Amino acid sequence: MTGAFLLFRLSLKRARLLLCATGFVLAAVQALRVLLAASLHKAGQFDEISALLPPFVRDLVGPSLTSIMTFNGIVCGVYFDTGFVIALLAVAIAVATLPASEIETGFADLILARPMPRHWLITRTIALVLFSILFMLLAIMMGTWAGLAIFAPPDVPWPSARQTATLALSLGMLVASWSGVALAFGAAYRRGVASAVTSLLAFAALLMDWAHRLWPPLEWIAWLSPFSYFQPYELVAGDPLHPENLLVLWAIATTGYILAYLILSQRDISR
Amino acid sequence: MPYDSGQNPPVSADRASPPAISMRGLTKRYGPLTALNELNLDVQRGETLGFLGLNGAGKTTAIRLLLDLLRPTRGQAFIFGYNCWTEGLDARARIGYLPGELGLYLDLTGLETLDFLTGLNGQPPDKRRRQELCDRLELSRHDLRRRLREYSTGMKRKLGIIQAFQANPPLLILDEPTEGLDPLMQESFYALLADVKRGGTTVFMSSHVLSEVERVCDRIALLRKGEMVLLSSVQEIRRLAPRRVRVVFSKDVSAHPELPPGYELTEKTPRLWRLTVAGPLGFLPGLLEGLPVEDMEVEEARLEDVVLKYYREEAS
Repeated sequence: MTGAFLLFRLSLKRARLLLCATGFVLAAVQALRVLLAASLHKAGQFDEISALLPPFVRDLVGPSLTSIMTFNGIVCGVYFDTGFVIALLAVAIAVATLPASEIETGFADLILARPMPRHWLITRTIALVLFSILFMLLAIMMGTWAGLAIFAPPDVPWPSARQTATLALSLGMLVASWSGVALAFGAAYRRGVASAVTSLLAFAALLMDWAHRLWPPLEWIAWLSPFSYFQPYELVAGDPLHPENLLVLWAIATTGYILAYLILSQRDISR
Repeated sequence: MPYDSGQNPPVSADRASPPAISMRGLTKRYGPLTALNELNLDVQRGETLGFLGLNGAGKTTAIRLLLDLLRPTRGQAFIFGYNCWTEGLDARARIGYLPGELGLYLDLTGLETLDFLTGLNGQPPDKRRRQELCDRLELSRHDLRRRLREYSTGMKRKLGIIQAFQANPPLLILDEPTEGLDPLMQESFYALLADVKRGGTTVFMSSHVLSEVERVCDRIALLRKGEMVLLSSVQEIRRLAPRRVRVVFSKDVSAHPELPPGYELTEKTPRLWRLTVAGPLGFLPGLLEGLPVEDMEVEEARLEDVVLKYYREEAS
């Protein structure tokens, strides 16, 4: 157990710069996002901006558009903003492919030549991925809170804690599901291959989800995309959270983690 | 003596003190390629065994199988009686391992690396032992506080040696230990090895440097294309290896000697003969009787002569 803790501590120490820098940037951008929302609110320009949106964006967002084009919607939009989602996915993939990197560099040889079970490499990585996701979501929340405290107009209500929590939970589960995919690939292949394949799959799945939102007949294949179980627009519009969506995302993550355990336990550790 | 891969070394009957390393029919295949074939080998406690072979002979594969980094296609391996796969944690708790290529995190300092690796053994660092090792290998406190990206190849090798030795394990598995060390550091390393050997530590080391193996090892095992072709004590090899004899004459000699079996004249000039002699030198005085011998030199048999013969056979 001590060895596992040391391994986690070392990995966290090495990842701290990546996590802190990403967390800081996400928090700062979110604070600016709140400033933008406050400016639009003061100028009463939400309707004008809605009118300027091209039809395909309206189709993409659906009836939730009116809820999104509000102060609350812009502030909460951080939890489904493509840039933020990509940033979180990138960090999760980088962390989840840590075992592949350790095998490639030969550091895993030094670890596993000691009385350390192989599975600790995976358990440590899962713990680190979940910690990283939580850390970045907390950074976004801190940015939101700071932005609201500084820039929010006095006449608008802040997003409710419940709404923020459900959005954060949904995004966290989505990122965790992709971390499971990355970890499974990272247990079998080199880090570059695992990262590239997971990123391409995520991009394809995101496009598939968008295509489905624009053209519903794609339902027959869209269900394969983890993004179709991530429904932030509906949450911003006030719809309740569907626990089954979270379960599906968690099942994807768990399947990836279990596959990673199995693959690493069977494979040869060689560069 | 040549090793017959079909022969099975006797399994130690004494379960209380099994060999430090025991390999039984150890085989590793990668598809059609056989990296290691039916390796049977015991390394006794306190012994230093040199594991020799050309690149790709299977030395590192065998080492990685012992450490459970690779899974065998067939066969079993034991460390102090513990099965390397089913009781891998017990087995590896008794090993200090120096890889051929050290994979280190260059953003860590030497001290952080040593602390981390010691901690994985579940023991607090023995700072006195570490300091002693650092002193012997001339790695200063200042060096240990530097990041590894600032380390030279030799310094990284020293750090590798320290991490393998610092927990005083009963078994050291060293893959090309002196690769990258300068001659002075090699001497320090040999002295260190001699010390741990005196303390009863078993050493299993692979090496390309035959003079090193001859100097520090009790026995050698020679691998060729994944198979063990030679297993013998260094003394025995020296005994069986042909010796070189150089005879200098004071006057020109034109005689053509009749050589007994095991004797070979490799160079013949009027004033100089060079011979190789496999076996006793008893015939030599008779051979030179009546000739104007001015000087004679008998070179000690060298491990190199035997091992290189196997290497050349493989290369051809």
